[in-house]
Amino acid sequence: MIQTSTQNELIQYVYDELADDACAQLESALMQDSELAEGCSDLLLLQQLLDGAAKAPSERSVQNILNYSKSLSLQS
Amino acid sequence: MNTTTQMSDSALVSLYIAGNEGAFEQLVNRHKNKVYTTILLIVKDSYTAEDLMQDAFIKAIHTMKGGRYNEEGKFSSWICRIAHNLAIDHFRKEKRSPVITLEDGSNVFNNMSFSEDSAESLQIKEDTHARLRELIQTLPQSQREVLMMRHYAEMSFQEIADATGVSINTALGRMRYALINLRKKMLNSNIAYDTNLYSE
Repeated sequence: MIQTSTQNELIQYVYDELADDACAQLESALMQDSELAEGCSDLLLLQQLLDGAAKAPSERSVQNILNYSKSLSLQS
Repeated sequence: MNTTTQMSDSALVSLYIAGNEGAFEQLVNRHKNKVYTTILLIVKDSYTAEDLMQDAFIKAIHTMKGGRYNEEGKFSSWICRIAHNLAIDHFRKEKRSPVITLEDGSNVFNNMSFSEDSAESLQIKEDTHARLRELIQTLPQSQREVLMMRHYAEMSFQEIADATGVSINTALGRMRYALINLRKKMLNSNIAYDTNLYSE
């Protein structure tokens, strides 16, 4: 059973927010604890999937933003 | 080759403030998907999300060109926070949470595009990602909020804790449950848990 504090550290680890010393400890634990390593692997897979689920806006909207910025530059 | 492509966001912001429009284009292209997705997951309407995304970047333009940009934080967190706040404001004004359907009857979330791959694998990816966006919508509000703020708005857990008035451990716990629940929902919905699907 993985402790809650370790699970929270795992979340911080995959989101690159864990302090260096805690990071080293966790990486050492990952080498020895297969359950923890599996949990880490699952989180990384989910992260990748969530990245892929991001949706792109239309090119027209992007162009509107860029044109707006340029129009302000021309005015100044 | 465009020399701005490898630059940090901070360097691009400085260039833009100095008048380089190409630097701004780079910033927009780098962050448009996360900004748009952050908004879309809140307002659930692609047309409204497009409008609010433009509003978010216009607000950012005025702040940067007006010399009020605070360089201490990350640009990505800042622009996504603007987007998040605009979306929440809009949502509160609307006081409703409709599922919008397009003219062809499809759900607004079933509309992604990928540049490469076979038609079949494209369709599988599209379906998987669309289902995932639907499943995110079914998470409890507090979990959904943290997931969106961390994953799409790129706010740190401490920033999320400050913004939502909870401890960092609570924010982490909510994220943990969001991911656990999402995984369960994926398995229950028979969404393939396959690494081959996830690569771009």
